[in-house]
Amino acid sequence: MSLKLTTQAYCKMLLHAAKYPHCAVNGLLVAEKHKKKDSPRDSVLCVDCVPLFHGALALAPMLEVALTLIDAWCKENKYVIAGYYQANERIKEARPNQVAEKVAARISENFSEAAMIMLDNSRFTMDCFVPVLFIYDHHDNKWKCREPSTDCFEDWIEAQKITAALLESKSYESLVDFDNHLDDLRNDWTNPEINKSVLHLC
Amino acid sequence: MSSISELYDVSWEEMRDKLRKWREENYRNSEQIVDVGEELINEHASKLGDDIWIIYEQVMIAALDCSRDDLAWSCLQELKRQFPDSHRVKRLAGMRLEALERYEDANKLYDSILQDDPTNTAARKRKISILRAQGKSSEAIRELNEYLEQFVGDQEAWHELSELYINEHDYAKAAFCLEELMMTNPHNHLYCEQYAEVKYTQGGLENLELARKYFAQALKLNNRNMRALFGLYMGLFATSHQPYTPQNPEAQGFAARNRDEVDCVQLKFQHIHGEGLSC
Repeated sequence: MSLKLTTQAYCKMLLHAAKYPHCAVNGLLVAEKHKKKDSPRDSVLCVDCVPLFHGALALAPMLEVALTLIDAWCKENKYVIAGYYQANERIKEARPNQVAEKVAARISENFSEAAMIMLDNSRFTMDCFVPVLFIYDHHDNKWKCREPSTDCFEDWIEAQKITAALLESKSYESLVDFDNHLDDLRNDWTNPEINKSVLHLC
Repeated sequence: MSSISELYDVSWEEMRDKLRKWREENYRNSEQIVDVGEELINEHASKLGDDIWIIYEQVMIAALDCSRDDLAWSCLQELKRQFPDSHRVKRLAGMRLEALERYEDANKLYDSILQDDPTNTAARKRKISILRAQGKSSEAIRELNEYLEQFVGDQEAWHELSELYINEHDYAKAAFCLEELMMTNPHNHLYCEQYAEVKYTQGGLENLELARKYFAQALKLNNRNMRALFGLYMGLFATSHQPYTPQNPEAQGFAARNRDEVDCVQLKFQHIHGEGLSC
């Protein structure tokens, strides 16, 4: 089984990291709920991502609130939480830490094909010429890193073009993560405006 | 490429006041500071008077954040020209070296400041930041602890230390740092709420009860603090299902009272939903 990302999911992950270049950021990936429960899927398509926090990622209460609320939202929209992404604070640090492993493990309890994604800050540029992800799959209670390639994208060329365009136009200034939502409940962490911009550029 | 004043229809005074607000409230919106500050410096330098020096400093630091070494260098040159022997300007030069990842040169500069003036807190804190940037967390923690033994009142340092401890998952020590901050700032709802989050993360019945109390206190200090409200709800929920144990016979009493409070908090959430404050 392998994880694939849509343009919207990849875009919002990178916009989140670009909005807070001086902080660690993390978030969740959601996939559509598989209709046939018995037959296994050949690949999981992550259609969207929900940016969670920036700054201190290692505190539990708000993370639990976020997971609960996002789970409820997923159930309403026939999604399932399928993965976790994190970008560390330091440029050269791309290894998953305890927080990443704990949250990803919790997600894989509910969704066995869950993946953990670490952003490679050192290759993150405005042009997005290369995918900047490390994807980790859960095997035998360990997280193993996959070979990086453009296979994990539904459409890499489109993802690259649209992400570069949105970074250029500074769309990350209007991205809302769960932290922003907690600061002002009117901020919508589903980011409908950014979703519209992505669709518009497709 | 139109200027900020044209795009947003603001005067140079408004731009200057915005910069002051961002400076006083310690915002890290570096891209905006660079855009506004660069235009102010290039177009309106003569009108700013003595304010220009502090604006050069603010814009320089923001420029370092945005990798605008050209702008940072020109601000630094102006400041060096005006204040040739200043330690404050030397520290800015050190920050530029840090941004270029020339950590050894930066350390040498800070050491020379400290030789001249061993009480210079800014240089000591920059050295600790270098350790943090290099990923040497345990050394940064050790140096910061030594610094705080001398400068016990430095709140920024206590907060930085609490962050370092949280990243290392040493929640007990992070809680201690936040306790120091709460003692000196009893009306600050943010410290209360962060302390509660740390206690909640530590876990265990006592810590959860404490977390609940401090979330409630944060809410009392600011009833719009949503993290405190959510935290109070989580704390009540977590402590309302404790069984009776001989060691803690009061647990069930707390649990029952907490279950009632869960209902009160749920009513408050519905009220907020009604006011349209949620999405």
